[in-house]
Amino acid sequence: MAWNEPGGGKNDDPWGGGGRGGNQGPPDLDEAFRKLQNQLSSIFGGKRGPGGGGGGGSMLSARLVAIVAGLALVAYFLGGFYQLDEQERGVIFRFGELQEQVAMPGLRWRPLGIDEVTPVNTTRVRSEAHQALMLTEDQNIVDVSLTVQYVVADPKQFVVNVRSPEESLKQATESALRHTVGGSTMDDVIGQGRAAMAADVQGRLQEYLEYYGTGINVLTVNLDRGAPPREVEAAFDDVQKAREDEERFVNEANAYAEQVVPEARGDAQRVLQGANAYRDQIVARSEGEADRFKLLLAEYSQAKEVTRDRLYIDAVESVMTSSSKVLMDVEGGNQMIYLPLDRMGTGRAPNPQALNGSPDMVRDIADAVIREIESRADTSTRRPR
Amino acid sequence: MSTRNMILIILTVIALALLSDAVFTVKETERAVVLRFGALEQVDIEPGLHFKIPFADQVKIFDGRVLTLDSESQRYFTAEMKPLNVDAYVKWQVSNVPLYYQAAAGDEFNARQRLEERVKTGLRNQISRRDMYQVVSGERDEIMRVLTDELATVMNEEFGVDVLDVRIKRIELPSDVSNSVYQRMNAEREVLAREHRARGREMAQGIRADADRRATVIRAEAEKTADQIRGEGDARAAAIYAEAYERDAEFYEFTRSLAAYRNAFSSKDDMMVLDPSSDFFKYLTNQQGGGGR
Repeated sequence: MAWNEPGGGKNDDPWGGGGRGGNQGPPDLDEAFRKLQNQLSSIFGGKRGPGGGGGGGSMLSARLVAIVAGLALVAYFLGGFYQLDEQERGVIFRFGELQEQVAMPGLRWRPLGIDEVTPVNTTRVRSEAHQALMLTEDQNIVDVSLTVQYVVADPKQFVVNVRSPEESLKQATESALRHTVGGSTMDDVIGQGRAAMAADVQGRLQEYLEYYGTGINVLTVNLDRGAPPREVEAAFDDVQKAREDEERFVNEANAYAEQVVPEARGDAQRVLQGANAYRDQIVARSEGEADRFKLLLAEYSQAKEVTRDRLYIDAVESVMTSSSKVLMDVEGGNQMIYLPLDRMGTGRAPNPQALNGSPDMVRDIADAVIREIESRADTSTRRPR
Repeated sequence: MSTRNMILIILTVIALALLSDAVFTVKETERAVVLRFGALEQVDIEPGLHFKIPFADQVKIFDGRVLTLDSESQRYFTAEMKPLNVDAYVKWQVSNVPLYYQAAAGDEFNARQRLEERVKTGLRNQISRRDMYQVVSGERDEIMRVLTDELATVMNEEFGVDVLDVRIKRIELPSDVSNSVYQRMNAEREVLAREHRARGREMAQGIRADADRRATVIRAEAEKTADQIRGEGDARAAAIYAEAYERDAEFYEFTRSLAAYRNAFSSKDDMMVLDPSSDFFKYLTNQQGGGGR
């Protein structure tokens, strides 16, 4: 769409419709400019009247210009102030060119439109966390969590060298971490190797970041967690339990040993004491009996005949008294004598008093005898004659 | 005068327009070329404020920082035909500005596409030559170094782009393969657990058996010593007896026999059938003690 269409009164020409002459109506721009000028002059007490659209209207009051210019300058000056926090440093670009100096915290001034200042926080410790499953050297899978703490050391580099430096850090972290884990065994990751691995990751990460020129300084890298993945957690826990079981079995056996051996020693002591007691007892008894014999012997030596007789008769008397005896004088020939030894030999002498003493017993015996007789009579009558 | 005004305004506006088009800034983070009527006029412009011929000269600006291409995860196969999902990132930068403009028409997208293709091809080549251990651990560094070098050469010649670094991020197993890895891990753990428990039981057995053995030995030793002690006792008693009884052996026989008779016949159940002619009864039938046969 052309600015000036042929034959039309269209008047979009930004240059004010040059070449058409004033009679076709003054350009709107001119009109507006004049109005503005008049308004300004009326505010500032210009001596021109509203009708001064003639030669006077095209003359700009020097004073007006000066005042406007002054105001613009003041506004420009005031607008150039900005503030930098204690934690921040300002990276300055003059017409886009990086300046050597870095703006320090406080109230600062820069020329608007010429200098641009990008504030960068250089003291706040930033943190990046990462957690994922990854492969180890021995082709196992582990679940690893890591935290990186970093700070912007060089604000100029941080702003200028790399597009999205913090994103770069994230990706570099992932690469370094997986690289390190990929070079370690699962036992290292799950067990004690994490501290060394964290140092390795930190070294790599710092190297990459410096190479890319991010201006970031890695403060610490912490491998918080290296664990078996959820799918195999139970099996790993069981191994731990198995280790504990192994210890427990051994402890129980030791406890058993601690109990059994002292018990045996106790028994051994007891047996030995018993033997000692036996020995002492038997020796004492023998001494006692020997002494007794020796004393008797001494007596005997004093009066052999008499002592002998005495001992003999005492002994036989005792024997005779205690046992049942039958004196048989069978001097004169071979008589046959009937000796019911079984009925004679009882220690209990027949005592008629005993029988009389229990009438119930007699009655019972009598009843039994009668019954017996009757039963015999029955069986005998039953038999056919 | 209106005409004068108009001329003034026109002049001012034209001046302003010319002025604004004659000045341009290049930021520290940018690279720029100036084209005069479409042809390259200035290249490698320093950051800052610059001037050009208005309207005739055109400025093309590119991001001059280190840029990152994050290549998406792709399946590759190792030398043993094992599948791996690998993704990588590339750090690159515009180095030869005019060449870059010519090759990519200043459109980053083109350069990225080309990088992406080459990275994938490169990875495929490197991975297919190696087995899984080498890819994951042994030669990971080398793979990246080779890729970086290869890509750097190509991209420099073709696109005027510096490839600083190619880094592998993730090497992962496809999920079905992961599952079999988990199964293997579980099985290995099971074996280990069983070993521990078996070892524990074995040691426990040993300790218990040893304890039992020691207990038995202690008891046996004690029995042996006890027997010795008892034997000692018996011997000493015998000696004592012998020493005493040998003083008068006959008398000993006499008294001991008498004691035996007492003990043997001590109850009424013992029945003795006696001949009155025995020595005990010598006074029974004869006051003087004769009698007997």
